[in-house]
Amino acid sequence: MNNFCYRHYRLNWQERHRLIRNNSNNNIIEMDGVGIRYDQGPEILSNVRLALPKGSFHFLTGQSGAGKTSLLSLMYLAQRPSRGNISIFGHDINFANRSQLASFRRRIGVVFQDFRLLEHLSAFDNVALPLRVCDMDEKEIRKRVTEFLTWVELDHHMYDKASTLSGGEKQRVAIARAVINRPDILLADEPTGNVDSIIAGKLMKLFVELNKIGTTIVIATHSDKIINDFHYPRLHLQNRSLHIYYPESTLVLGDLNV
Amino acid sequence: MSKPNFVPRKQELQLKSENTSLFLQVIISIAVFIFAITLSGVLAVDSMIDNWNRSILGSLTVQIIPSNNLNKEKAVAETLAHQEKVVDFLRSVNGIIKVTPLSDEQLGDLLHPWLGDDVSVSELPIPRIIDVKIDSSVNIDFTQLAKDLSTVSPLASLDNHKLWLNKLIAFADGLKMIATTILLLVSLITSGAIFYTTKMSLGLQHNVIEILHIIGAKDTYVAQQYAKHMGTLGFIGGLGGIIFAVPAIFFIGNLAASIEGGIISDTSLTICDWIIILSLPVFSMIIAVITAYYTVKQTLKKML
Repeated sequence: MNNFCYRHYRLNWQERHRLIRNNSNNNIIEMDGVGIRYDQGPEILSNVRLALPKGSFHFLTGQSGAGKTSLLSLMYLAQRPSRGNISIFGHDINFANRSQLASFRRRIGVVFQDFRLLEHLSAFDNVALPLRVCDMDEKEIRKRVTEFLTWVELDHHMYDKASTLSGGEKQRVAIARAVINRPDILLADEPTGNVDSIIAGKLMKLFVELNKIGTTIVIATHSDKIINDFHYPRLHLQNRSLHIYYPESTLVLGDLNV
Repeated sequence: MSKPNFVPRKQELQLKSENTSLFLQVIISIAVFIFAITLSGVLAVDSMIDNWNRSILGSLTVQIIPSNNLNKEKAVAETLAHQEKVVDFLRSVNGIIKVTPLSDEQLGDLLHPWLGDDVSVSELPIPRIIDVKIDSSVNIDFTQLAKDLSTVSPLASLDNHKLWLNKLIAFADGLKMIATTILLLVSLITSGAIFYTTKMSLGLQHNVIEILHIIGAKDTYVAQQYAKHMGTLGFIGGLGGIIFAVPAIFFIGNLAASIEGGIISDTSLTICDWIIILSLPVFSMIIAVITAYYTVKQTLKKML
């Protein structure tokens, strides 16, 4: 991080609010004054304000325990904030019913740090899950899943149980599952944490490709190498707050929308 | 590809391998067994009341109390003379179709269950009985008929069966109410067992359900898998219960039929009753499906 130059934006509340409001149609996720705490414990995140524009690519950094996973879980609607508002695809989640929340989740792809595959199912069935919950025709599912598993070079392990796959293979199954439904946003928690640098590079290329075709991407990572190699803005969690850094080389004036 | 051909889809929720499945099947089997026996009892009592009503409607009985003449032969002759008078009178009444005084043999048959084979009706001071068939379309004033009868013969008394039948019906209704309460309780216990098994299973499957949710599965997706699984258990359990219940019903039916006296001998179940009893596994399946479906929906509501 030290050898990489960032410009640190500190916008006042009014400015941020104006930016969020003005660009609300273009934002996939907006957070305003969001705080999160578990039970009666202290707040893990406090007063987070954030707007992720469509098609953006961000890294999410911070020390272990800084709240990266909690922030991601708010983004993939696994929990509600203790305070503040979150809008996703232009809808305030406080006013969304359970059926709407499920529809929003179908537009979000998530890659978990621990993969969270269904171990008793095959790679094929794991990747097919997001399509099956949408009641897609089995023929179409077969076609798409085969295509995606071939894309992540796992076609030879298609019918192997997830429990029998290696860490790297599981990672790729998890990624295929996250993107099979062509989500609007992909959230990945340490997706390169369990793989060697060659596979990590391949995975990053895959994320970049997805971003090029319009998918908004947030990747939580500890890897300085990845952050340095790919010049994307960085959301950094420190002292319960979210700070936003832009790499100097990619800064575009007026693009203050994060 | 290690398996190029079609591989059957596996369910995401591993419900079949849960230990509670067998427990629930046994509970449902026992519940359906009790339900079937009780229900067959209710249906039998129903058909019994129906038979009583049908056989009694349009008939009445006139009784001639034996004369208290100390001379046995004279007493018999007097009683028979009274019977003759009463028969003549009854035949003249408008609305009465048929008057049949019961013969000694018939009276003997009636007394047979209580007094055995060696009954000599003429030896005993028993009332003579006249069976009267009436035209149910004609409205007969029974109070007036009773008065007229006592004028014709002071030994005659009229019984239109209403009194004892009403008492029997009240008794049968009481039995039916108890049976209905049992049926309700058994249904409640079954639903309760399905409810708690589903709840427990939801706890066991929490991780899978969480993943399904994050992927965008709606509550109905999970609820349908539970409903399907519990429905199958409900049906198989119900089938098990019925397999044991049918011979038991036949056994009880045979016991009832062997009781002489004509009171419970007409308790046979109709085809319709049997269809209801044999379709109990379908009912237990429906209860299981509905209970599981709504338990899952209600429980998942508490998740985000």
